[in-house]
Amino acid sequence: MRASLFITCYNDTLFPETGRAVVRLLERLGVALEFHPKQTCCGQMHANTGFRAEAFSQAKRFVGLYRETETVVVPSSSCVAMIRDQYPGLFEDLGDETLRRDFAALLPRIFELSEFLTDRLGVEDVGAYFPHRVTYHASCHSLRGLHVGDRPMRLLNKVRGLELIPLENMDRCCGFGGTFSIKNAEVSSAMLATKLQDVMATRAEYCTALDNSCLMHLGGAMHRQYAAMRTIHLAQILAATEGAPPEEAA
Amino acid sequence: MSLPTASRQLILDCIRAVTQNPSAYAKVLRTYIRRGGLGIQEKLKLMIERLREYDADVVECAPKELPATIAGQLALSGRQVFVAPAGLPAEWLAAGFDWKIDRGLENSEIERAEGVVTAAFCGVADSGTIVLHHSSAEGRRILTLLPDWHLCILYASQVVETLPEYFDRCPLPPVLATYISGPSATADIEMTRIKGVHGPRFLNVILVRDED
Amino acid sequence: MNTGQPVLDPRYAPGFPIAALPVLRNPQLRKNVAHATDVIQSERARLIAEKSDWQELRSAASAIRNHVLENLGSYLEEFEARCTAAGGTVHWASDAAEARAIILDILCQEQASEVIKIKTMTSAEIQLNPALEAAGIHAYETDLAEIILQLGEEEPSHIVVPALHLNRSQVREIFARTMGLKDLTDDPKALTAAARNYFRQKFLTIPTAISGANFLVAETGSVAVVESEGNGRMCLTLPRILITLAGIEKVLPRFADLEVMLQLLARSATGERMSPYTSLWTGVTAGDGPQRFHVVLLDNGRSSILARPIERQTLKCIRCAACLNTCPVYRQTGGHAYGSVYPGPIGAILTPQLMKMEFAQSLPFASSLCGACYEVCPVKINIPQVLLELRSQVVNQERGQAAWLGDLMFLGMKAANSIFASARRFHAAQALCRIALHPFTRKDGWIHSLPSLGAKWTQTRDLRGLPSQSFRQWWAARAKEGR
Repeated sequence: MRASLFITCYNDTLFPETGRAVVRLLERLGVALEFHPKQTCCGQMHANTGFRAEAFSQAKRFVGLYRETETVVVPSSSCVAMIRDQYPGLFEDLGDETLRRDFAALLPRIFELSEFLTDRLGVEDVGAYFPHRVTYHASCHSLRGLHVGDRPMRLLNKVRGLELIPLENMDRCCGFGGTFSIKNAEVSSAMLATKLQDVMATRAEYCTALDNSCLMHLGGAMHRQYAAMRTIHLAQILAATEGAPPEEAA
Repeated sequence: MSLPTASRQLILDCIRAVTQNPSAYAKVLRTYIRRGGLGIQEKLKLMIERLREYDADVVECAPKELPATIAGQLALSGRQVFVAPAGLPAEWLAAGFDWKIDRGLENSEIERAEGVVTAAFCGVADSGTIVLHHSSAEGRRILTLLPDWHLCILYASQVVETLPEYFDRCPLPPVLATYISGPSATADIEMTRIKGVHGPRFLNVILVRDED
Repeated sequence: MNTGQPVLDPRYAPGFPIAALPVLRNPQLRKNVAHATDVIQSERARLIAEKSDWQELRSAASAIRNHVLENLGSYLEEFEARCTAAGGTVHWASDAAEARAIILDILCQEQASEVIKIKTMTSAEIQLNPALEAAGIHAYETDLAEIILQLGEEEPSHIVVPALHLNRSQVREIFARTMGLKDLTDDPKALTAAARNYFRQKFLTIPTAISGANFLVAETGSVAVVESEGNGRMCLTLPRILITLAGIEKVLPRFADLEVMLQLLARSATGERMSPYTSLWTGVTAGDGPQRFHVVLLDNGRSSILARPIERQTLKCIRCAACLNTCPVYRQTGGHAYGSVYPGPIGAILTPQLMKMEFAQSLPFASSLCGACYEVCPVKINIPQVLLELRSQVVNQERGQAAWLGDLMFLGMKAANSIFASARRFHAAQALCRIALHPFTRKDGWIHSLPSLGAKWTQTRDLRGLPSQSFRQWWAARAKEGR
């Protein structure tokens, strides 16, 4: 099985350890990974901030890069939601027939990480070992955009040593919202405070999710407050084994 | 009457300009539940349960016991002066009470009454709703509005399970209708539900078991 | 309470990020909003769990509303014909000013100096009450929440529960002061009884009423009003003259369509299977209720919303406010921050469009796009989709105005797009960022404070410093080593 990793612009820049974990995990599961060196961004930030023409040009570039690719794996549900939910509209309005056709053919070959594991590889036990108390935050795009359902839970439940603590109001938005976190920074922070109350109440050691966007927002506040909890991407938990615990994200 | 004005034309023209491909009414897909699946006894049990959830007082009786049951409920209320719609069956006007029959009562007379007795058109068990179509036995709308205590006579054969079943029962759409699902209430203050803001604070129902 | 009156006029209200600030610093208000929305949400959830055809009802309601919008002209004309045949008079108002003028004209002809009103957000939309006051006509609000707001000179903060931002002691203070009830307790029972007594005489004596409409039925020319307290029935039944103000989008094709809408509305709005009272009337009925009946159909920007394919779904709204109750943004700010009588998710898309995108441009951005609103909307309005469309329109406005030259955010977005267009530029930008952020990065590898736009992040959150090696660089190095 071959797959091409679309790392996403922010993971590439800020969270390379998540990418390294994806590589370790998938290679352990027998996937031959590729990495397109020219990848940049899916265009979500621009689309969500009202810059449609700019988002379109990035979307077009994305399709151009992956047109011939057998399978694309993305460790970020918001980027996959962008591709599934917004690319069609962008190409309908601004694209041509060839682009729409290419995209229609490519779309079923794009997977968010947890989808790739459970649906494409058909595994729930990935051989992981992570002996910690963990709580899971359901990021909005994964929950309501991709409808990942219980896939992440099924994967977490098979991690040896892991104690999964349910998160109250698990499906309530953390308040990141992309550029919302800057344009409406105070409201974003208020939402973060409310979310953090529920997260901290779990007394878990780690808070995990499918998206580093939510996690950098939650983790940024945890770090500011010297909280005794950290954030960690699901990929890093699943990649961890007895001999190879996750790289510490400082 | 309707006044053909420039605005009327302008608005309709604007609308017409942007609605070029109207779809047909019949094409609207309806897959929701129209008919309920409960048996008669379960349906009536549900109706009573829902009414009591709203703090409505419910008693049951057989058809021949109705006049006596009415008398009993009126006596229990501790009230004396009642209004009744002109078309209310005579045998429902229990003796020993002060009846004001509505043949054009003044508002002030209705305001002085302590209670009202009416029939109903239908009951919807799913929501515990009493439907009034304001026929002569149900009375003008003001009759069930001003008095503080309302006794409603509902026949078991008038009770349906679902709201769509009520709509199926209407031979024609009613000109006037009031759907009562409990006494008036508000939750505007801290979401604390308080009964009886305006409108009757006490709703009493006699369910006549004419289907046993 | 309020530190300065909120301005609910989109033409003058401060942008959402600014308007939110005083509210965020009001713990009492945030507690009240969270409590109220939690109660409604949990009741709603309980009732939906017992309704096995909830999704089917939503689909049908969405289809009915879409169908209505596609045939809006015909249904409005049908409603007009039937209502007129039943003794009503139908007026058409292009905008708020015209609606006010029509209503004032009717009241003048009837020589009305007072009117009783049932709560209608549409009348707040057209700013009716101030216009009535200016003409010497006092309008008595009769909904408990609206009474509280009117007596307390407060502004509504929710479509269905407008006074939810006030708690019982705040209400007690308002009633005691304005009704002269010095011994009034803050028990909601006592407060409600005070309102009941205060209004009884008004209902019985004031001959003119103004209402809104939940639904207009084209087939019969009927109007339906859904309410809890009974003040609606009072206003609809006791006066001699009734004026009903309704947005043109309120129409339904047939009486039987209420079988869908009424199952959805109360469950979504107040967490009840049905509201205590739903009233339906058709024109004028001899001997029962008002003998003179007027309907004022209001456009005020709705027909231009109809014109736009994606935004049109905004008009499907049945004003249940389920979206407000579930919105994690609304939970923090309540309604006043939106600067409009229509707040929350629906307000964020409706308000700027009613203003023809000339005002309230901050509202489409007042959302984290979490999608919870779309999940609960009984008529399936894809609010996030409309928000994105409106954001794009606002940005296009900015493009045209060259105001962007001074807008750091705008410039940043243009620069980012240029960077993402080329792998080489992207890699160079990453390297530049690493250098630029280095002085801000502490020993533990985290950034505590940034200038300019970055400060918006670091005012409440730390930021991971940029790792010295991007993922791409690690991959390339690994490939070089032949691994």
